[in-house]
Amino acid sequence: MTISRREFLLRARLDDGTLEAWITEEWLIPGGTRTEPAFTDADIARAALIRDLRHDLAVNDAGIGVILSLVDQMHGLRRTLADLMREMREREGERGG
Amino acid sequence: MRLRDCGDARALLPEEEILTDPYQLLGVEKTASLDDIRKSYRKLAKKLHPDLNPGNKQAEEEFKQVSTAYDLLSDPDKRAKFDRGEIDATGAERPQQRFYRDFASASDHAYADASGFEDFAAGDDLFAEILRRQAQARANAPGADMHFRLAVDFLDAVNGGTMRLGVPDGGTLEVKIPAGIADAQVLRLRGKGAPGRGTGKPGDALVEVTVRPHRFFTREGDDIHVELPVTLTEAVLGGEVPVPTPTGPVMMRVPKHSNTGAVLRLKGKGVHRQGGGHGDELVRLKVMLPPAPDPELESFLAGWLAGKSYDPRRDMQP
Repeated sequence: MTISRREFLLRARLDDGTLEAWITEEWLIPGGTRTEPAFTDADIARAALIRDLRHDLAVNDAGIGVILSLVDQMHGLRRTLADLMREMREREGERGG
Repeated sequence: MRLRDCGDARALLPEEEILTDPYQLLGVEKTASLDDIRKSYRKLAKKLHPDLNPGNKQAEEEFKQVSTAYDLLSDPDKRAKFDRGEIDATGAERPQQRFYRDFASASDHAYADASGFEDFAAGDDLFAEILRRQAQARANAPGADMHFRLAVDFLDAVNGGTMRLGVPDGGTLEVKIPAGIADAQVLRLRGKGAPGRGTGKPGDALVEVTVRPHRFFTREGDDIHVELPVTLTEAVLGGEVPVPTPTGPVMMRVPKHSNTGAVLRLKGKGVHRQGGGHGDELVRLKVMLPPAPDPELESFLAGWLAGKSYDPRRDMQP
């Protein structure tokens, strides 16, 4: 289910200029085309994270890029770890049966 | 409830002892300034923000409480009301927020980044295989479907045709309208949606068709309905009359003594059926008098006795 730019701005409580800046910074990478981007619920949640970082945690713009990159890497690692554990369980199961 | 130091011991609180006093939650004095409150909140939020603590359920719960407390105490108006006991600590609950971490673990997640394991993969086949599969899942993520609306003329919908649709990126999309398409039907144009990521397939274009009404044709299922005016002469004496059909006019024989409301069927002149064949065109006759009064007709009717004895309203007696 994709979300239009208009709906995204409303739901993420962003103005047009801010969204443009965030996309330019690659903090947000929507699908679709440049003129007709298609957002997802994950983009809305990511925008909420960026907002929290800027306003609630007073992280400056340079810091946000670093944090997002680390958060993405952390999720990548968590996922890889989960895949690895599943793979190991399966192999153990094969050996057992 | 027992009072506790709200510093670093907070995270260790057992569930049944969740603090509800916003001052205690933020670990500040009742007299704390707004600046102190903000500082204290930031300190806690940095530690507890769910997106900086994926997989930690307790952090999320505590972050919500701390945020609620901060919402309350950072608003001087609400804080004063709370201090006077006019609202409780939940008086300023935040709207439900879905955290980024809830999405970030999905397999085709667009922002996923497993580069942190690449050095491991170089020396380990199992790691290499897992990373390869992950990369494939992301690379194969298809593009989004795009939705369009297209208004189609009645006859194009019945007979089929090709139409052009302007798309947002400035190009045009050629849409083949299959014969017999109905109003509100959706055409799926494979691969004409948003481009996929990497080598992923593009999405589809979904075109919802609106059929414009026609001046005199209407459609019911596979049948075309049309009301055909005929002259009094044609109705009484019968004869060949031209009838419009979606594929052009055809000649139709009106039988002798055909009345208004009589329905004649033109087999196979209706809408193309999906499984093959066509519906019919149903022609409903409507007897029309000439536009100007006619003395000859009037004098004939004045002396026409049989006509006077017929009562077309006999079924309407109460």
